[in-house]
Amino acid sequence: MASAMRTQRWLRGIVGTVALGAIVFYATAVVVREGQAVLITRFGRPLRAATVPGLHWKLPWPIDRGILLDMRHRVYETGHTEMLTRDKKNIIVRTFVIWRVGDPLTFIQAIGDEGGAETKLDGLLTNAAIGTLGGHDLSALVSTDPHDLQVDEIESELLASTAPLALRSYGVTIEQIRVERIALPEQNVKAVFDQMRAERRQFAAKFQAEGEREASRIRSEAELEAARIRAKGAEEEARIRGESAAEVAKTYADAHRIDPDLYRFTRSLDSLDKLVTESTSLILRTDSEPFSLLQSKEPK
Amino acid sequence: MRRLGPPSEIGRLAAPLGRLLDAAWQRMHWWVATMVVLYAASGITVVKPDEVAVILRWGRLVGDTPALQQHGPGLLLSFPRPVDRVVRVQTKHVWELLVSTLATVNDWGGNTLDPLTQGYALTGDQNIVHVDMVARYHVRDPAEWAFYGPNADDVLRVEVTAAMVRSLGEMGVDRVLADGRKSLIATATRRAQAGLDAAHSGLELSSLELTRLAPPVALAKEFDAVQSAFIGAETKKKEAQAFAQSAIPKAQADADAALQSARAAAASDLARAKGDAGAFLALHREYQANAVVVRERLYRDAVDRAIGAANVEWVPPPAGTHYQGFRVSLPPVEAGAAAQMPARSKPTSGGGSQVNSDRAPTP
Repeated sequence: MASAMRTQRWLRGIVGTVALGAIVFYATAVVVREGQAVLITRFGRPLRAATVPGLHWKLPWPIDRGILLDMRHRVYETGHTEMLTRDKKNIIVRTFVIWRVGDPLTFIQAIGDEGGAETKLDGLLTNAAIGTLGGHDLSALVSTDPHDLQVDEIESELLASTAPLALRSYGVTIEQIRVERIALPEQNVKAVFDQMRAERRQFAAKFQAEGEREASRIRSEAELEAARIRAKGAEEEARIRGESAAEVAKTYADAHRIDPDLYRFTRSLDSLDKLVTESTSLILRTDSEPFSLLQSKEPK
Repeated sequence: MRRLGPPSEIGRLAAPLGRLLDAAWQRMHWWVATMVVLYAASGITVVKPDEVAVILRWGRLVGDTPALQQHGPGLLLSFPRPVDRVVRVQTKHVWELLVSTLATVNDWGGNTLDPLTQGYALTGDQNIVHVDMVARYHVRDPAEWAFYGPNADDVLRVEVTAAMVRSLGEMGVDRVLADGRKSLIATATRRAQAGLDAAHSGLELSSLELTRLAPPVALAKEFDAVQSAFIGAETKKKEAQAFAQSAIPKAQADADAALQSARAAAASDLARAKGDAGAFLALHREYQANAVVVRERLYRDAVDRAIGAANVEWVPPPAGTHYQGFRVSLPPVEAGAAAQMPARSKPTSGGGSQVNSDRAPTP
């Protein structure tokens, strides 16, 4: 019986202590999670900001109050804004910004909630973009010449002209500003289309002409090479024929030199063979040989 | 041992609560004990195979380095809430996001584009192109993504769009639409990743795919014409190359054939010359031995061949020393016709060509 009483007393003690401890803990402890901050106010007056994750303390309500703030990075895209570049070209630009709460106290005081921050940022960014891009040509944003492009510089200028002001005035840290979109006003697109069309026609004509020129070059080079090969062949052929003729002539000459008279005689007979053909008409007297042999008993 | 004295004011006030607790403990002590054990066990977490878990103790990340912060798949022991809080993140899973900020919708080929409703980008040579993209990504740093990173879809959409706009803005449209596509994707991916890192997103871009990269519909015909001209030019070049590839070997073959023919002719001519020379030498030997007979024989043979081959008109000898008023008619000599038209003598005048001679013909 005494043991049961002791147990009950222990239990009462433990439960009472735990309940009391829990009440005191929840009234005074402030758990700041990673990615969050808590602004502690005393009777509505901001006291301090607990930005380091972990356990922080405050006096219980209604003396102190903790206001939770999301410290995550956030994306905000501005609207499409029409502006004029230094070379007087109308363009439509949209930028985006990666921001987070940098100074919770200023943020709460100047803006109040997160939706309000974006309205403030929009004005700030639009003004900065108009100012910055007005100092650069369109070729600083789009160009095939790397020397013209100044996108990094433009983004740095945008950051430099907005980040200090945003932190000081709104408690917002701007981590990154980028140009998200570069477009042309609707009325200017038609002119670009016309320019693109003209450029395409020019390219088509250029390709066609280049193709023909290149094909013609290849053909003429091939023909030249073929002619060179043929000429070389003909030269070699002529040399062979010449050498052969010389050798043939020498062979005949060597033989005929032995008896030029006989050679002349046989050549004359050969010529006769060649001279007299089926289309040759010979008019011979009947008293000449061999016809005369038929008339006399003895040949002349 | 403390003596039990008269009950205090607090004791009196807490007495009903004490009685309630006593009664509850007596009736449900097993239930209470079970609840306490279950609460203690709520600190055990199962981390799935594609997940990584991090522990927040009193809101603060446990571990100083990513290796110590991140706990892989399996059982993870931690304190129950509110001391510890376990956050599980799917790091192995690859997510997909369609980025259509530079894509066109309902473009029926009109002669202009509204920049607010029709997405497009300008190339370096100020041409207009439409781009549809699919970004694939995964969580690289779970703690950064879970606690500090912006909304994944938002940050990916803007960073990928900005990177693509910038990368297109430094390339000409022809390069973009032809061989520069790979380089465009590589540059845009690198820039987008740098942006994601600068935004503390904790994300890694696995791949960036261009599902469409095309000029405006209104200009499709002109772009096709350039493509056709390019293909036509390439075809012409290929045809010329094919011609060159056949013309040169053909010339070589012709030259070789001519050389072979010349060599053959040379060999044949020389052989004939040698034969003729040999024959002449043989004839000469014979001629030396009996010149008159050989000469006569050669002469007679030649005359026989001539008479045998030609059309011979035999005419009687003249009455005196000269022919007078004598006519011989020969058939007209035409190529190929001479053989078919035998010669006929006509003592009197007639058609055909006529030979007037006042001299005796001699053989």
